[in-house]
Amino acid sequence: MKIPLRLAKNKDLPSIGINHVAETNLCSQTLQLLDEYRAFTRSLSVMLENCTGCGACAKACHSYLGTGDFFNIPAARAGLLRRIFVRYFTWSGRIFGGFAGAGEIERGILDRWVEYFYQCNACRRCAVFCPFGIDTGEVVLAGRNILSRLGIVPSFMADIARNELTSGNNTGILEPAILDSCSFLEEELLEETGLQIKIPVDKPHTRILYLPSSSELFVNSDTLMAAAKVFHYLGLDWTLSSMLLEAANYGLLFDREVMKKHNGRIRAAASAVGAKKVLMGECGHGWRAARMYTEGANGPFPFQLQHILELVAECLPELRLTKLPIRATLHDPCNYGRGAGLVDGPRKIMRACVADLVEMTPNRDRNFCCGGGGGLLMDEMKQIRMQLGEKKAEQIRSLLPLDYIAVPCASCKAQFPLLIKHYGMGEVRTGGVIDLVGKSLDMRGSAVFAGREPNLT
Amino acid sequence: MEFFMGSVLPYGAFSVFLGGVLFRVSGWLRTPVPFQLTLFSVPRNRIGKICLIFSEVLLCRTLFRQDKLLWVWVWLFHLSLFMVIFGHLFGIFYLRDQFCLVGFRPEQSQVLSVFLGGIWGTLMALSLLALLYRRIFNLEVRRLSSPDSYFDLLLLLAITLTGIFMYAPGFHPELHDVRAYMAGLLLFDPIPLPRSPIFVAHFLLVSLLLLYFPFSRLVHLAGFLVIRLMLVEAPPEYPIPGHKRPRSIFTISKFQPEIPLFSKNSVKREGRSV
Repeated sequence: MKIPLRLAKNKDLPSIGINHVAETNLCSQTLQLLDEYRAFTRSLSVMLENCTGCGACAKACHSYLGTGDFFNIPAARAGLLRRIFVRYFTWSGRIFGGFAGAGEIERGILDRWVEYFYQCNACRRCAVFCPFGIDTGEVVLAGRNILSRLGIVPSFMADIARNELTSGNNTGILEPAILDSCSFLEEELLEETGLQIKIPVDKPHTRILYLPSSSELFVNSDTLMAAAKVFHYLGLDWTLSSMLLEAANYGLLFDREVMKKHNGRIRAAASAVGAKKVLMGECGHGWRAARMYTEGANGPFPFQLQHILELVAECLPELRLTKLPIRATLHDPCNYGRGAGLVDGPRKIMRACVADLVEMTPNRDRNFCCGGGGGLLMDEMKQIRMQLGEKKAEQIRSLLPLDYIAVPCASCKAQFPLLIKHYGMGEVRTGGVIDLVGKSLDMRGSAVFAGREPNLT
Repeated sequence: MEFFMGSVLPYGAFSVFLGGVLFRVSGWLRTPVPFQLTLFSVPRNRIGKICLIFSEVLLCRTLFRQDKLLWVWVWLFHLSLFMVIFGHLFGIFYLRDQFCLVGFRPEQSQVLSVFLGGIWGTLMALSLLALLYRRIFNLEVRRLSSPDSYFDLLLLLAITLTGIFMYAPGFHPELHDVRAYMAGLLLFDPIPLPRSPIFVAHFLLVSLLLLYFPFSRLVHLAGFLVIRLMLVEAPPEYPIPGHKRPRSIFTISKFQPEIPLFSKNSVKREGRSV
């Protein structure tokens, strides 16, 4: 199935540290990059060489279930890379060739890689259902890494990566705009609660650095405002940073060098404000990148790292919450459920905030991806994303009537409204988990904490 | 020729098998795992992790969850393979008297050994046929297969069938001869192969399997554990101390942020608003 993916132009690549590769060198360069990648990580070779093609992953993959395209079966998707890998880097492929499923490298195969590696949300659900635990997400990320080093990058990713590297956030907001919208949100908060709730930026000597998703400044501002309310209520000493106003790390999804650079900013930004703790906002792959990749990318990290949902879940006894009279469900973002093990915190919070919490089936680490993960949020991919989200739509439909779907991930927040509208369920509202805390929090309780520093770890 | 088949081939095949598998596994283990690939939810303590891996190894837990029918055949095949290998070891060494060790009379042990060997062998053949059927008639799996996927199954099936065929009257090799031959191999003093065509065929096919094993997908018997160990690794704890060993050379190369750490504007704004 052809996908309408727009690729970045060659002249835009050097700004994200990628060099264009001439058409004639593509094949030889691919083999060299593949060789480097297999020396870089154990997962690629061991996952490609052990697949027996049993097909158990087919029923686990929302991408295959939604599109019905054979190459969207995880084993077949990985097979596009496997045939080249086996041919050039294993004994069986070199000796037996096509008999062992090997194939020669050719220009056409790279087009297939682009096509199918960008129809995968890297949600890792196949790894949960593979008898061997083969994670096709890893293979896909390896493939995307190789493609981007060949100069084949979706322009959407390239733009975001450039923004991340220059301004420290996905949308490329510069400091004046950050200050401006924070002041605006402070006014909104004043109007709503009658309290002077600050949203500090670059405040020196602060204990906690909060990294929201940059979309929270404009689109999902309820999340940031709710977070500010909770921090104010708890009397936390926190700040945003203008040099890193982003939990997301798109480098994780297509280029490890970009990932490393952007990840390195966490440490720099935390040192700059003198923070002891880095608190990550609601962003799925961002939380996985920070929690699971920081050590491997940039080594020692002298700060605590926590997710805002974990912090709020810990502080629930201190918050005076009134249950909202709504029927709500929680979507477990793939990178929380399978990628970073954050499933109990959001549930605890939801149970405290809403009267009727219903669970999706399946949920937690077996939850289906919404179809917006893995960096596929580009406009031109909307039609495909709707297909990828078919399973999720079915899950939601079986829970109707619903008032609210809590999606604590910025990619999911972008995908869900489109998805439920596409499948005719436009009346359901979506938003973060923290948004609910903001709505059900009784700010009068904050007086209890006035003037004291809560002893949080 | 007889010398080659009876003496060179078994040693050669076994060395290739052992050396090849060790080489491949050590090749995987030598490559770094630059990032934790923990697949949640994973047990926190060591006992939980060991239980998880054992339930995967012994029961194919994941497959059971996903596809019960496939699980039946896969699990049955691996179980019968395991049983048959043990049956060979004990049956040949004790000349079918192995059940005397648990209190049976010799004639009972003979019958039981023949009976159990026949049952497990048949189950193994049936499960292989079922897997082959699935590979051919399930459209998805057929497209996922390459010629070697069929070859693996057919080779195992051929070994099983020649094994079962030895039960047929007239084709039965003398167990004494087989034991004497195996003893000769183990004591590095090989004697000629027993004169039974069906035994020789069975023996040659097993040698072929051993030769082929390390190069094929069958090596998943070992690779499986390598993957599982990656997936149950403990996630990092923060703060990460400076003396912790780097996970790979990727960790070591340094990065400096390109934009200034502090900006006057924002500090001024803070000053005003406080």
